[in-house]
Amino acid sequence: MSDDNLIIYEEEIEKIDAVLGKMLKGAEAKCALMVDKDGHLITRQGFTHSLDTTALAALLAGSFASTKEIARLVGESEFSVLFHQGKKDHIHMSLVGDRSIMVVIFDDRTTIGMVRLYAKEAAAELGKVFESLANRPAEDNPGIDNEFASSAGDRLDDIFQD
Amino acid sequence: MPSPNWGLISRPKLLGIYNSMVSINYATREVTCKIVYYGPGLSGKTTNLIYVHEKVPSSTKGKLISLATEADRTLYFDFLPINIGQVNGFTAKFQLYTVPGQVYYNATRKLVLRGVDGLVFVADSQADKMDENIESLTNLKENLAEYGYDYKNFPIVIQYNKRDLPGAMTVEDLEAKLNPEKWKSFEGEAVKGTGVFDTLKMIIKLVLAKAQTSDSNKSQKLSSTAEAPQPETSSTPSQPVAPVVAPDMEAPEPSASEVEPAPIAAKADPVTVDNPELTREEVYRPEIRQEPGLVDLPDEKENVSNSTDKIKRIQQEVPEMEPVSASNRPFPGSSTAGLSRRERRITVSDFQPTASAPESETHTEQIPDENQEIKNIETNMPKPIMAPSTRVVTKKRGFFKRLFGIK
Repeated sequence: MSDDNLIIYEEEIEKIDAVLGKMLKGAEAKCALMVDKDGHLITRQGFTHSLDTTALAALLAGSFASTKEIARLVGESEFSVLFHQGKKDHIHMSLVGDRSIMVVIFDDRTTIGMVRLYAKEAAAELGKVFESLANRPAEDNPGIDNEFASSAGDRLDDIFQD
Repeated sequence: MPSPNWGLISRPKLLGIYNSMVSINYATREVTCKIVYYGPGLSGKTTNLIYVHEKVPSSTKGKLISLATEADRTLYFDFLPINIGQVNGFTAKFQLYTVPGQVYYNATRKLVLRGVDGLVFVADSQADKMDENIESLTNLKENLAEYGYDYKNFPIVIQYNKRDLPGAMTVEDLEAKLNPEKWKSFEGEAVKGTGVFDTLKMIIKLVLAKAQTSDSNKSQKLSSTAEAPQPETSSTPSQPVAPVVAPDMEAPEPSASEVEPAPIAAKADPVTVDNPELTREEVYRPEIRQEPGLVDLPDEKENVSNSTDKIKRIQQEVPEMEPVSASNRPFPGSSTAGLSRRERRITVSDFQPTASAPESETHTEQIPDENQEIKNIETNMPKPIMAPSTRVVTKKRGFFKRLFGIK
């Protein structure tokens, strides 16, 4: 990673979406989220309309971070797979590369074994995508320009009024 | 020291790699910044968020999520997403987090700081809270240093909260003690909302300004960040001696200096990638062209013809999973060795009506499913029949013998 900045282009998102879509189809899961460890949502696939994905991403990243700390206390560097079992819906989380988490939400139409199988495959594929993303030359990452900062500043005054 | 090995494993990922930068998603055209409210316990960090959540128009805000204890103290973090809408074709999003203030929650506090773009330090203005303010501020600096941030160049705003309370110190005194770096500061009464928006506006402006400068100096920054961690880490091992915060702080630091080369090497890679002048298209387009084909074709094949492949895979996966459970079994396994002996004992003890009852209960838990029903029947049957029969029959015999006068 050249810098901490997470800059993702459309074609990369398309790649990630394709892998996630394939995984969802194979595992017959409900939806999949790609979450940055910082808590940012990168992309999502499947039936996510009823979900508050922003909050979900932040909380999932938080829970992943806390289990990482638990792992450290136990003498493990990191737990690469997490699984939450509910009454109907279950969540399978797996680490992708160094800094991303793939979250699969599924219900009883499929099994944990299927999800694990396809998630493992997808995580390996996504790992390559993120690696190429991280190794991208730094000059190709245009960031925020002056205009954005100044016009965002103007908007703030409109929105944040006592 | 017992734990440096663990530090060796986990620390390199945390060190030096992270620099303040917003996340930009060109696919959804979103710019996301993470802003964290830091400060001592009960200084009003969560109150700040609550006020923002109340006053901001509903179209711009998301749900306020609070991971708090039953007594409403923040346990992990509070989270409030704010979306200020389209700015120059990009949706600007800000994620506001708070940390738990209490000293002993440092582990979770540190986790929330991960990937932070801007900080608001909420200080308690009361004179008797000054020690807590200072402790929290030094803790903040340590935690930032652990992530490889330099607090002197970090977007930080201080809010002197609780100005309305009688024990509040003057702003001059607070500035002198808490703000030697001359960060921007505001007076606040978070409960009434005074200063809350001013603080938030300022930190957002600082974050965007920082992102801007860091972008324009990208090439310089690359080299500077590669060098920057070295002095920081060499200085950090001397730090934990002075502040007595958490014992686990000591373990990571020595390892940090040992494994220092790793992040630098990671950083050196993209620089070398720069040199062969491959444009992004040349590097990535071929993959994109290949990828859809690679994605679609095997997928269809699987669905149409190779359904047996799936089954094979699953079969491969299943034995893969079983050894895991088998390897977890040593404890149950050792008891199953004892179980077979116990099973034999069952058959013997079944005929001893007094001893069988308590033992059979423990057996039924451990016996495999197939035998369980049989055993249940076996253990259930003898109890009512055997036990009373042996006793009652003798009595009955005596009873009838007496009744009918048989001798």
